[in-house]
Amino acid sequence: MTTEIRDSFLDNATRILFFTGKGGVGKTSLACAAAVSMAQQGKKVLLVSTDPASNLDEVLGVRLSGAPTAIPGADGLFALNIDPEAAAKAYRDRVIGPYRGVLPEASLNSMEEQLSGACTVEIAAFDEFTKLLGDAHATAGFDHIIFDTAPTGHTLRLLQLPAAWTGFIAENTTGTSCLGPLAGLETQKSLYDSSLQALTDASTTTLILVSRPERSSLAEANRTRAELAEMGIANQRLFLNGVFVAQDRSDAAACALEVRGHEALAGMPADLAKLPRIEVPLLPYAPMGVENLRSVFGGVSPVRKAVHNDRSDAIHSGLPLSGLIDELEKMGHGVVMTMGKGGVGKTTVASAIAIELAHRGHAVHLSTTDPAAHVAATVGGSVPNLSVSRIDPAAETRQYTEAVLAKAAPQLDEQGMALLAEDLRSPCTEEIAVFSAFARTVAEGEHAFVVLDTAPTGHTILLLDAAEAYHRDVTRTMSDVPDAVRQLLPRLRDADFTRVLLVTLPEATPVHEAARLQDDLQRAGIKPYAWVINQSFASDGFSDPVLVERGSREAPYIAEVRDRLATQFVVIPWKPEAPVGPELLRELAGHSRVFAGTSKG
Amino acid sequence: MATIEVFDPPMCCSSGVCGPSVDPALARFSSALHWLANQRITVERFNLAQQPQAFAASEVVKTALKQYGNECLPLILLNGAVVSKGCYPTRDELARLAGVEPDQPVQARPATQLPVIQTKCC
Repeated sequence: MTTEIRDSFLDNATRILFFTGKGGVGKTSLACAAAVSMAQQGKKVLLVSTDPASNLDEVLGVRLSGAPTAIPGADGLFALNIDPEAAAKAYRDRVIGPYRGVLPEASLNSMEEQLSGACTVEIAAFDEFTKLLGDAHATAGFDHIIFDTAPTGHTLRLLQLPAAWTGFIAENTTGTSCLGPLAGLETQKSLYDSSLQALTDASTTTLILVSRPERSSLAEANRTRAELAEMGIANQRLFLNGVFVAQDRSDAAACALEVRGHEALAGMPADLAKLPRIEVPLLPYAPMGVENLRSVFGGVSPVRKAVHNDRSDAIHSGLPLSGLIDELEKMGHGVVMTMGKGGVGKTTVASAIAIELAHRGHAVHLSTTDPAAHVAATVGGSVPNLSVSRIDPAAETRQYTEAVLAKAAPQLDEQGMALLAEDLRSPCTEEIAVFSAFARTVAEGEHAFVVLDTAPTGHTILLLDAAEAYHRDVTRTMSDVPDAVRQLLPRLRDADFTRVLLVTLPEATPVHEAARLQDDLQRAGIKPYAWVINQSFASDGFSDPVLVERGSREAPYIAEVRDRLATQFVVIPWKPEAPVGPELLRELAGHSRVFAGTSKG
Repeated sequence: MATIEVFDPPMCCSSGVCGPSVDPALARFSSALHWLANQRITVERFNLAQQPQAFAASEVVKTALKQYGNECLPLILLNGAVVSKGCYPTRDELARLAGVEPDQPVQARPATQLPVIQTKCC
């Protein structure tokens, strides 16, 4: 990247910037770095995370809230997290508060219970989001608003909502339709309109597609590019993060990494290649704190002197990942779920386990709740005993709608059916359809192995919240609930039925995000079974300074997992070749190591 | 002209499509109300989770809630007086309540699956 292009971009940035991309590509790091650099130029900048599992606090080193918080060391920079749970609570208080002492306590309690569902959480967060986007008063005084958006699948849903809902309200002819907890907010139509207008105005909004120089990451960026361009968000830029040039030509792995990057860029989709592009080199460390963030766009990134490389963790003798698979295999059937931050390799780990179990003769169903995951591409071909699928929100919503209409048909006349069909266009329907599909997939674990790759943390948290909310509903009502839904939470809580693997990289944010997820899971009565530390550079055989330094910085995070977080964990070494296809995935399983952690969990 | 007011228990939405399963009784009731509105009856519907102000503004509703608790919902008022508590009447029953001629545009459906309990309601 030339300094001029970068500076010109930062100088001429639009008022609203969205950073989007596949999990783990560095959206948060680059959004923070851009925000710090723009603030340094004297601009007043508001940085916003819409991810329920936001990492802004950790990257900026400041405890944030739902209101703008000044960032020490970066004058003019403020940041906030849209916390869906907090937004939902504020929404509940706003709705219920005025009726305390007016309506009976029991009625207030039942209102509160109703307003604790997944719909309210999602919609309250959306409400906050549109306020920042479409309400000039809410962001008055800021020159720029930078959204560090949640990973792609979720981002798209959030972004599509203003379009979908504006249409929904305009086309709703009977006025009786279900807007869920947002029914009272129909009056906010003008807010949605101005949000949509802000999004599609090229002089107001820039969409920054962040990608690694990797095939899957570029493919994802291109998919988002096309989808959002179609929605009218045409002002787009590509930020290529982690561009790597081997400094030590004798390091075969480093040279292989460089070649892999070149090959991926050479095969970049043509429309993506046409976008104005800014390249950021692979840093030997994850940029944390204002000083480090400033250096990202501030010129040369400092390669630090390598600290003492404590490899004691990696040279522990231990079992290969196949040892963990041995334990999983003893269940005979059941559910194995991979969870964690975006980009840590959940799909890869899930695929490797599924393929190994299938190879050992078990019937295995590999699926994913992540709308942006590419499970079939990772498996890369047909494997005996293994079936591969995905929970596709659009397809599930269609099927669910058809099933509900078919079931209701005998009891409704034509007009009643039309009303129901209209109600089913509600934004809540997708949530329920996806949730039901998730419950059905988990239920299959009664008869076979189900290996379930999940969406990034934030999305998974919402799904678990939904499980708990519906569980309350189910226990409260005697309505005709599918058995799979009724049994979902008990199944997830049964440690002999469901085994949750927390996948992470040996870096600060993915470890700490997974640690928070572990707490959330435990609060929901689900105890993770093991941790998987993926893509470790902490092994012998690297001489390139950037790779050596990355490896040397892993020790404290591996130690944190071992000592404080895991009862057992696996370390999978980084591979110069992307682990795609049955052979490489089985090799990955065989070469990894599992260790006993000292945490009592 | 008659006015029917329906005070629903707290729900995500009045058709119930947002729950873990869709209750056909709710969809059928929505349809019946829609029909009633086409018979020159003024129909208003309030959901405790979304329009608590309507509940708070009605002494009749507040009294019923205090006396019977949430069990009295859905509460149906005709011209301000309670005519039904704790269940969703059928279209014919609604017609009778509102004093309009019930019609039979579709074949009367068996009510076996529907939780309308005649003894407790109407």
